[in-house]
Amino acid sequence: MLAPEQIRREFPLFQHHPELVYLDNAATTQKPSNVIEGIRGFYEKDYGTVHRGLYDLAGSASARYEAVRQKVVTYVGMKDARQVVFTSGATAAINLVAHSYLMPRLKKGDEILISALEHHANWIPWQQIGHKTGAQLRIIPLDKAGNLSFSAFRQMLNAQTKLLAITHISNVLGTINPVPDMVELAHQHGVPVLVDGAQSAAHYPIHLDDWGVDFFVFSAHKLYGPTGLGVLCAKFQHLQEMQPLFTGGAMVRAVSLEQTTFAAPPQRFEAGTPPIAAVIGLGHALDFLNGIDKAMALAQLNDLNQYALELLSKINGWQRVGQPHQSSALFSFVLDGIHPHDIATFLAAANIAVRAGHHCAQPLMRELDLPATTRVSLALYNTRQDMDRLAEALKELIKFWS
Amino acid sequence: MSEKLKQLYQELILQHHRHPVHFEKREDAGAVIEAYNPICGDRFQLYLDMADEKIARISFYGYGCAISKAATSVLVSQMDGQGVIQAAQTIERFLHALQSTEENPILENELAAFLPARQFPERMQCVTLSWEALKTFLAGY
Repeated sequence: MLAPEQIRREFPLFQHHPELVYLDNAATTQKPSNVIEGIRGFYEKDYGTVHRGLYDLAGSASARYEAVRQKVVTYVGMKDARQVVFTSGATAAINLVAHSYLMPRLKKGDEILISALEHHANWIPWQQIGHKTGAQLRIIPLDKAGNLSFSAFRQMLNAQTKLLAITHISNVLGTINPVPDMVELAHQHGVPVLVDGAQSAAHYPIHLDDWGVDFFVFSAHKLYGPTGLGVLCAKFQHLQEMQPLFTGGAMVRAVSLEQTTFAAPPQRFEAGTPPIAAVIGLGHALDFLNGIDKAMALAQLNDLNQYALELLSKINGWQRVGQPHQSSALFSFVLDGIHPHDIATFLAAANIAVRAGHHCAQPLMRELDLPATTRVSLALYNTRQDMDRLAEALKELIKFWS
Repeated sequence: MSEKLKQLYQELILQHHRHPVHFEKREDAGAVIEAYNPICGDRFQLYLDMADEKIARISFYGYGCAISKAATSVLVSQMDGQGVIQAAQTIERFLHALQSTEENPILENELAAFLPARQFPERMQCVTLSWEALKTFLAGY
């Protein structure tokens, strides 16, 4: 297993910003050179459109594009490449499920179950289709430490529940939800489950078939890949039952004056020319991740997170927000009397990039009774030195502020 | 700590942040204006009593960063007792100076203290939050 210092060398951005401590990985990760070079090489040597040209470049571009679908399937522990739909992002993937799968099944009095941990992407689409259909959004509450209340979840499942939509990992508290257990319980009540993997897909083992997850979404750009690309992985039967949300070219079988027969999934959901180069880039990002020992990498990340928490907890007035039982390498904190935006500006001046604010999770922030927090989220290229610099900068800030 | 940062967080701003002027909720105020930034969650209420085309009384309450709180405190201290037209002019002058590249635009000391925020474009909305809200209110008054 490579040390973080060695992994960092594979990310060209750090050659241009050698002093940068980048701790906003939950928002987006930096890109390794194989992704950047892979996209460049594709445009330089192999570029063509997919699924419609009869010349060599179009044929080979289609083959490369479809090969990434196969890579995704293997990566998430599914078998059939037809279960993978490329979208413009995880948000678009959730909206697709909300509008094409769930909305036609909803009637007044039905319930959609989500959790208090959800960010806006896994909240607003459900809220909106609830408004349109008269279905009710129900929220699984948290305990004080930031864990979902499993007993409340158990009680909230009922005959009206039409879907459970749950984040795998909280983007604010780092809480890892017990996805396999939740899916099992939901299925006992006949409730399908959507899992938002935006924060988990990069570093955590994903076994969708074993877990029985119905829908899983993630974004390429949080997984060392390019922006503008998300993925929906779903049970094929669900996809077959769904009508397209967007219509246009490339997703049809036959078009007449009055009627259109749609193509089978996944093409049915990929209207227009897809983000071909981004898909190619995602393939390279998965190569990058498959090239490292993921169990070791995760252990390394958790070690680093623990190191940071121990270091920071020694600082007077520093407090972590939440203490979830199972936590990813991500945490929010507050400093007595100093607003997160002032903290972030100070850290930025010290070349440390963190996120401050409500993290697109306003309902959660209300539940925590905090207008804003500062968040640190780690990736494979973060080092102990990064954590030391963060701690030193925070101490300097406190000294200045007092 | 960089000079740029020291100028942003200069003593006058920190003083207003720690000891804001007229920092009190007033449920019986004639008008309550909300200054809310949905991007960051900062939220202040401005409490006003208007009389004889004047801001007869003004206070504020709420939550925000040091910059937005200090800027609101300075706003309140500047506006207390001012005529509507004069108040609108002061706001316009301040907002204009923040957008100009002029090195030393003529401003009261309390207002000039916020000019270094021009070096921090992402913090500019912290400075202008409450000023913009009062500007909108006065325009409709």
